[in-house]
Amino acid sequence: MTMALEAPVAARLNTPKGGLATIAELLPRIIFAIYMILFFTYLFLPLAVMTAATFNTSKFPTVTPWLGTTLQWFDALWADQAMWMALRLSVLIGTCVIAIALPIGTAAALFLTSLEGRARTFFYAVMVSPLLTPGVAIGIATLILWRQAGVGGGLWLIILAQSSFIAAYVMLMVIARLQRFDRTLEEAAIGLGASRWMVFRRILLPYLKPSLLAAMLIAFLQSFENYNTTLFVRGTETPLTVFIATKVRTGLTPAVNALGLILIVLTIVAAVALELSKRSRAAKPA
Amino acid sequence: MSHSVDLIDIEMIFGQVRAVEKFSASVEGGEFFSILGPSGCGKTTVLRLVAGFIQPTAGRVLIGGKDVTGSGPHQRPTSMIFQSLALFPLMPVWENIVFGLEVRGIPKAERRKRAEELLDLIALPGFGDRMIHELSGGQKQRVAIARALAVEPQVLLLDEPLSALDLKLRQHMRAELRALQKRTGVTFIYITHDQSEALAMSDRVAVMSAGKLQQIATPRELYANPATSFVARFVGETNEFPGRVRGVSDGIAAVETRHGLLKGRAGPGLRAGDQAAVYVRPEAVSLETENDNRIEAEAERLEFEGAVAILHAKAQDGQAVLAAIAHRGLGQAPVSGGAIKLSFTPAEALVLANV
Repeated sequence: MTMALEAPVAARLNTPKGGLATIAELLPRIIFAIYMILFFTYLFLPLAVMTAATFNTSKFPTVTPWLGTTLQWFDALWADQAMWMALRLSVLIGTCVIAIALPIGTAAALFLTSLEGRARTFFYAVMVSPLLTPGVAIGIATLILWRQAGVGGGLWLIILAQSSFIAAYVMLMVIARLQRFDRTLEEAAIGLGASRWMVFRRILLPYLKPSLLAAMLIAFLQSFENYNTTLFVRGTETPLTVFIATKVRTGLTPAVNALGLILIVLTIVAAVALELSKRSRAAKPA
Repeated sequence: MSHSVDLIDIEMIFGQVRAVEKFSASVEGGEFFSILGPSGCGKTTVLRLVAGFIQPTAGRVLIGGKDVTGSGPHQRPTSMIFQSLALFPLMPVWENIVFGLEVRGIPKAERRKRAEELLDLIALPGFGDRMIHELSGGQKQRVAIARALAVEPQVLLLDEPLSALDLKLRQHMRAELRALQKRTGVTFIYITHDQSEALAMSDRVAVMSAGKLQQIATPRELYANPATSFVARFVGETNEFPGRVRGVSDGIAAVETRHGLLKGRAGPGLRAGDQAAVYVRPEAVSLETENDNRIEAEAERLEFEGAVAILHAKAQDGQAVLAAIAHRGLGQAPVSGGAIKLSFTPAEALVLANV
């Protein structure tokens, strides 16, 4: 306690302007600290409550009243066959969406950067418009379009509907990197006899690799968490988001919280692992 | 003998801009040929036309006597070194150097061997596995040269490749480039805005201004007999006395200037009545008084440079006049503010019409 009190006193003595000036100096920092605390509380409190609820014996996902600590909901989750099927389906959809959205988005990015002037603005608007369209509208539009062709809702429509707007995310990410690409590298390669394909494979693709990997990750996550577009085109399929939403109606148990917690932990582990590998790679050439 | 390059009446128009106008030049096989001009004069466009990155609006490009107009860069026996060098940042040095062989389908072991040979040639043995960002400016420069030479071009095109280097390294690389050119016998076409670079390295220099060819000559000829007022001003230091031509006889033109009548060798096509200027190099201006052309001036300051001293003087109308005076001929140094008479012979002055 005394230690904590001493520090500000010492700081005040060290500043020549005296006590009032110190408070004026500290005030913005205090406000900033409070703001950050509020910000992170706002961000993480729901997650904390959700996590805590996982361990509550209560049949509903809640922290009040606390009926006792338990791990039973992990067992319940483990035993929930429907949940596992939904999860597997979501992973399958996410993978297929990557397979479709990545080439389309990359091709669009390459095409757009090769354009100039009005044509560029036009195609940019066309490609980005699915991002500004409500997901529900994309879902309904996809359903109506394919119904004309006799294709009903189901796995393929989910993949197509999601890809239609996720490709735009991929395009934006690839464009961002492509704009910094030194075009003379391309010319240099062609001057040395390289074909277009060779330039793409040996020069452009390695350059785009980081943004392609990031785009894959974003595409997967966008697909994995998508609900409103998926809902309209799912037919009889039940991906994870739809499964959870259905549970809300049929009776939600903290097993869903357990699933949430597992996903959070996996995300954190993956992010940390990625950061660590990035750092070790950055340290190597030096 | 490596290939010659002939440009015949080349014209290049980008939209509304006429980047190159009626450009003709014949570069001999094995020649070190420079194109000199200020930035934006169209010299890089000429180089890209030779490389085949762009096709001329009109005119023909011949390499080794063969018409290559319309063919792409991969169909021409040329190799280009870019101003930015354009080394591939994600490949190690050796892969950079033999990229041209990789695209030709040459097996890896052979490529690696060739890369090592080229690394020896550019005096960077053992650098094959480094990455480009681990190299210094001069090393990158040399890797770019090796990469261009790996495809065994007949003509090497260099687009201001030394401009990013510091002065000392630049001078060193000049000598290296020149030696390399002699050793390989490859035809070099070298683009630069730096006249000392062009004069020091080249067999012949083409001077360009605003898309137009001004003159093609050896460095000495260019300096001694500039064909146009632009070349006279652009290449080397010069004093310029503008006026009107009174008459031309026996190759000597008399020009009415603000400093009186000055005489010099008449440039091509000069006629009485032309607006023109008398150009004289600082080293042709002396303090002796018996020469035909005399200018009354006031000494301002003397810069001693060892072998020569540069006298900065001001003519009566305020025009600055430079005189490079050999150390031995200096005699009595003029004092600052003192009235002096500067003179030069008509043989050492050149009269060129204004363009």
